[in-house]
Amino acid sequence: MNRLDATRVVVDGAGDAPIVASLGHPAYDLYAAGDRPQNFYTWGSMGVASSIGLGLALAKPHARVFVIDGDGSLLMNLGSLATIGLLQPANLVLVVMDNEEYATTGGQATPTAQGADLAAAARAMRIDATTVFDEEQLRRTLNGARLAQRPHVVVAKVAESTPGTWPPFDCVFIKHRFMTAIGNPESAISTAK
Amino acid sequence: MSHTPAWARGVCSGLYAAGSRDVVYVPDNPLSQVLTELGDRYGDVRLVLATREEEAFGIAAGLYLGGRRPTVMLQSSGLGNSLNAITSLVLPYQIPMLIVVSMRGDAGEWNAAQVPMGRAVRAILDAIGVPHVTVTSGDAAADAVRLVATTAFGTRQTGACLLPRRVTTS
Repeated sequence: MNRLDATRVVVDGAGDAPIVASLGHPAYDLYAAGDRPQNFYTWGSMGVASSIGLGLALAKPHARVFVIDGDGSLLMNLGSLATIGLLQPANLVLVVMDNEEYATTGGQATPTAQGADLAAAARAMRIDATTVFDEEQLRRTLNGARLAQRPHVVVAKVAESTPGTWPPFDCVFIKHRFMTAIGNPESAISTAK
Repeated sequence: MSHTPAWARGVCSGLYAAGSRDVVYVPDNPLSQVLTELGDRYGDVRLVLATREEEAFGIAAGLYLGGRRPTVMLQSSGLGNSLNAITSLVLPYQIPMLIVVSMRGDAGEWNAAQVPMGRAVRAILDAIGVPHVTVTSGDAAADAVRLVATTAFGTRQTGACLLPRRVTTS
C-alpha cells in the first residue's frame, strides 16, 4: 500500500466529513485522491495538523473529523497526543501516514524506520490506536473508528507515492471553501455579536 | 468582594464581550488568575490546556475553522515556540484569534533567562505583522482586550494584547 492508495481509502471512508491534511506529500496525495471542499490543505505549520483537527473536533462535536498526518510531522508535535488523550474527543480520527521518511524533503529516515512506534505512543497517552499494513485493514479500522465514541489513531505503514499534483496555492480560498462546506461560512463569525 | 485583580477580571470580561468562548492556553503564573476567574464565573467558556504554544495555535485555528472565536493565552517566552504556526498557518490563511500575552522579561523581572525574549516580543510581533496593544493598567484591561479581539474577528487579522508585569504583579 502506498500513501496515495491509503489516502483514497480515507477519502472513501470520510464521506462528507472534513479532512485536515499535513503539509507536503500528505496534502498533495489528499488532493490527488479526491479534491473536495471539505479538505483543509495546510501549506506550512509542520506538526500541527493533528492540533487543527483537535480544535475542529472540539468546535464541531457532531461532525467526524479526520486528520491525515505524517510520521515526521507527528514527531514534531508528540505533545498533541497527550492533549488528545486528555480531552478524548469522540469524533477525531488521526491517520498517520508512516512511510518512515521525510519524503517531502528528500527521503531522510525518521525514527520510525528504526522502530519508533507511534501507535504505542498514542496508547501511552490513552488513545486507542491501530497499526495497519494494507488497504483492507485500513478500511476496517476506519469503519470501527467511525462508530467508536473515543478518538482513534491509525498508523498506516505506507510506501512513498511521489505525488505529481498540488492542491490550490491560495490559503484564503482553501479556508473559505472549507468553512462554507462544513457549515461555518466565515461571514457568520465576523459579523455575529 | 472578589480577590481577583482588576486586570484579570478585565481580560475575562473583555474576551467574553468580544464573543470568545474558547481559551487555549499554556499555563503562566499571572494567567492562572484569569483561568480561575474564567472557571468560576464564565461557565460557558471552554478552557483547553495545550502542552506547547505552537500546539495551542493549531488548536485555536481548528476552533476558528469550526465556527468559534478562539483566544490563545501564553507567556511571552512561549511566543518563540509559536512562530511557525503563526507565520505559516494563522497569518497566510487569515485565521483570526485573540492572543493574550503575559509578559516576562520587562520591568520588574528577576530572571535573566526571561529578558531577551521579553525585550524582543514587540519587535517580533511588528516584524510578522501582528498588531498589538499593551495594557497600561488593571482598569484598562477589559477595554483593551475587547477592542483587540473585536478588531481581530471583525477584520480577520489576529491581534495581541500584552500584559506587562507592572500590571499583572502589582
